[in-house]
Amino acid sequence: MGKRLTVARRELASLRSEKTIVLAILIQLFIAAFSSFLAVGLVSLYDPGSVSEGFVVEFAVTGEAGDDIAPVIEREGGWRAVEYGSYGSAMDAFRGGEVHAVLYVDRLPSGQADVEAVVPDGNIRTTLVVTQVRDALDAFERAERKRLRAQLERTPIDLPRDGESSPYFGFTYTVLLPLLMFLPVFLSGSVAVDAIAEEYDRGTLELLRVTPLTATDIVDGKLAAMGALAPLQAGAWLALLSLNGTDISNVAEILLVVTGFSVGVVAMGAFAALRFRDRKQAQFLFSMGILVVFSATYLLPEPPANTVAKLAIGSPQPLTRAMVAAYVVCGLAGYAALRRLVATRGIGE
Amino acid sequence: MKADKTLRIARWEVSKNAGQLDRRTLAAIGVVLVLVAALTPLVASKGIALDDGIYQVGVADDSPYRGPVANDSTFVAVEPDARAFRNGEIDVLILPGRPPVPAPTQKGQAAISELRATVQAYNDDLMGFERNRTAAFPVNVSLRYVAQNVSTTGAGTDDSEPPATTRPTDEDEVGLGGGESGGGDTGGETDDADLQATSRPTDNGDEIDSGESNSDGAGGESGGGDTVGATDRDAGGDDGGAVGDGPAGAPSVGSGSSLFTDQTRGGTPADIAPPFPFESLVLAFAFVLPMNFVIQAYASSILNERINDRGELLLVSPVSRGDIVAGKTLPYLVGMIAIATLTALGIAGLTPAGGDAPLEIVSTAAVSVAAVAPIALLFLACAFVGGMFARSFKELTFVTVTLSVLLTSYAFIPAIFTDVHPIAAISPLTLVVRALGGGAVPLADYAFSTLPLLLTAGTLFALGAGVYREEDMFTQRSVPLKFLDALDSQLSSPRSLAKLSALSIPFVFVAELLAVALLFALPVSVSIPALLVAIALVEEVAKSVGIYAGFAHERFGRSARSIGWLGFLSGLGFFVGEKATAVAQLVGLPNLELGRAAFGTVTGLGIQSSPLVLVGLFFAPLALHAVTATITAAGASRDRRWYFGTLAVATLVHAGYNLTVVSYLG
Repeated sequence: MGKRLTVARRELASLRSEKTIVLAILIQLFIAAFSSFLAVGLVSLYDPGSVSEGFVVEFAVTGEAGDDIAPVIEREGGWRAVEYGSYGSAMDAFRGGEVHAVLYVDRLPSGQADVEAVVPDGNIRTTLVVTQVRDALDAFERAERKRLRAQLERTPIDLPRDGESSPYFGFTYTVLLPLLMFLPVFLSGSVAVDAIAEEYDRGTLELLRVTPLTATDIVDGKLAAMGALAPLQAGAWLALLSLNGTDISNVAEILLVVTGFSVGVVAMGAFAALRFRDRKQAQFLFSMGILVVFSATYLLPEPPANTVAKLAIGSPQPLTRAMVAAYVVCGLAGYAALRRLVATRGIGE
Repeated sequence: MKADKTLRIARWEVSKNAGQLDRRTLAAIGVVLVLVAALTPLVASKGIALDDGIYQVGVADDSPYRGPVANDSTFVAVEPDARAFRNGEIDVLILPGRPPVPAPTQKGQAAISELRATVQAYNDDLMGFERNRTAAFPVNVSLRYVAQNVSTTGAGTDDSEPPATTRPTDEDEVGLGGGESGGGDTGGETDDADLQATSRPTDNGDEIDSGESNSDGAGGESGGGDTVGATDRDAGGDDGGAVGDGPAGAPSVGSGSSLFTDQTRGGTPADIAPPFPFESLVLAFAFVLPMNFVIQAYASSILNERINDRGELLLVSPVSRGDIVAGKTLPYLVGMIAIATLTALGIAGLTPAGGDAPLEIVSTAAVSVAAVAPIALLFLACAFVGGMFARSFKELTFVTVTLSVLLTSYAFIPAIFTDVHPIAAISPLTLVVRALGGGAVPLADYAFSTLPLLLTAGTLFALGAGVYREEDMFTQRSVPLKFLDALDSQLSSPRSLAKLSALSIPFVFVAELLAVALLFALPVSVSIPALLVAIALVEEVAKSVGIYAGFAHERFGRSARSIGWLGFLSGLGFFVGEKATAVAQLVGLPNLELGRAAFGTVTGLGIQSSPLVLVGLFFAPLALHAVTATITAAGASRDRRWYFGTLAVATLVHAGYNLTVVSYLG
């Protein structure tokens, strides 16, 4: 045990002396910052209320059935309907920037309402306005269906009221958190490839082999150093997110999943490096292998990203718990297979 | 640089790599590729559902809400148990005959918002079974995109514009500018046929010519370019950050048209889709993902030369450094472009947007490849410098992953906003999206997206080649020291400092664009000051790091006169290089509020005043750059701590200047 710890310490010391671990943390910080910016940016394009309070979307309403839609729009807090006598005057107001969108509402002979919606083009507001137009017309459609309900065989279900949560609540748990949990795992595996390929490439394995270390000791030590880094970083992220006001449930199980993956992925990296020795080939096959493994997990009944999301948001089902166990078992099995390989074949000249 | 020598080294690089591939490795690569090819459609068809089962809804089997809840995989239906609801095990409780109640938590609120959307979609599905279509879908919608001519703060400032630069706004001209067939749609309020149009042909890229000035002068970038700049800051000031982009100016963002779906936008309200170009995401992955693998191999190959003095033999052979670097890079660049060509042909051939005729497909693919090639070159340039600087494989891994993340986001994030925001133009992927959307890609747009990348790549290769020499390749020095070495290798006399400062411009440009991209989501009141400080810092670092490298290598004297001279030269070089960014204004990024703050103030173009003041303002940045560079030079001549201290001072001075320009002259 002590011997392995020495190897592990040596690996970590070399990372520390190069200060590259700082770079790793910077990468993750950048990803977290950028994806949050992205989320805020995208949401602000779609949802006015989320960013600026009290933003009112103004619709110019015109056409022969304009009177039918105006009250529907007025019912909502964030919308205002301005009626115009003609399409031309509504368009002038639109071009002049007095209204955000024009709804030209006509009645077809069948009784259907025919709406031509004019929205701004190539403008930062475009997405926002289109979303609002859709919501307004949805409301109008509901009102029309209600009016015509005698002619319907089925009744539409009443909509529940809208919630008041932050629009990026789901994003934090389903995208950001899994990303932050699995990125360190990938980095650890990639560095494990380097740690072994480097010994081959520089010819320093000879030196290690004249020490009283066995082949398994050397591999164990290297894997322990890299395998421990990922759960540590994941834990730090969970702590940071909680400090930031994101409630995270089942922390221990999330870390267990990350550890299971970390053990398995690091063993995969070590296998690629032992097998191919050349860093270029080993890294390429390792990255492609990771791509294959992670996309294959999407064929499982519950992909790992979903497992982490469910655990963190606090909705784990029995299947989730079973998957946690399965991931840990798979990771350990991969590691055991690697050890057997190293014990029987050694690590080469 | 000699072509035959370069080609010979390229051949060696290829044969060396091919020689390492034994049958076993090839088999492994084959298996992995087959697996990737087999898995991609499988996963794609299953869909990546990230939010499966994250909310628990208590709903009885006979409740009308049972159907929607069971249909949406986001929800897990459980027994409606009031106690479990109070314990927080149920997020939304639906009791018979009552409306759904959310738990008093954030999660409960999020769950009921999601349920609302689900029920809405369920209702639309339900109505699909109705026989009476009129009652089931009583609203028929068509969507039309029309340019608004003025910023949201309204018109009325026309008079302040000099008549020479403001032409009366001409609706038809805006629409017809690019010669696209859809021109009539902005002027056709009396035209019945137009009124009924359900979709509007994308008029990509026709608004580059900023001749059609906005009638309220939002930006006013018309004609002579002397009205460009921070002249209109109130456009977005009081409405929460939205920028009232007129139709003219910045590289245009076409109206939303999806590559993979039908282009008509008629139908029920539920059919309206906001112009979110999901394809950007697919494209970014199809084009950029293989690049990440190639640079791994390339950086390995560079670092391999440096281990155990392997590169010594090439270095002593009668070929120049340039030949070696070019020869080693060429096979990877060719490989990347080949992959990109295959990808582009695949995308253009498989999507309806690429066109049907083979010629059309080829031309679309050619535009895509031309747009992607500079990204490939930048990837290689960064990987080259990474391979030259890294001390070990482990360090190289971190460096390449950092590069991959940064470059992928630089290419990808702006392209998300292709149809939404002019900022998208900074990414060449935007050009690809537009080309696939059937639009033309004007040369100006192409230059705007790719020139910064090409210049950056060229400078990086020059820097890396500077340390491609024995004393740097085979020694273990930390990355910052290597970086200083690389800079120092470009310095020969104080005068070369000016060259170095001018060469830093593309990096400054990319860094500033990245800052703009990061900050544009914030309200203008926050983002403008933050941006001004960030820009000041970027520019001060760019000007002073060469001086610092020179002092670290004892290249310059430390007398006050020498320091002043160095500061002036660095400032001058930067000033001259910066004037080149006026190109950015001609292309039109300054139409963006942030772009104006970033580039309008520092170039000093864009203030309307008497010629004397104009000349003064034109040269004011020179004085500023010289003064701040001298401040940092004084710090750099002492030691590192002094350098950082003076850097902070210079940044504040610079930011103060920018702020003054923006708020008083603007």
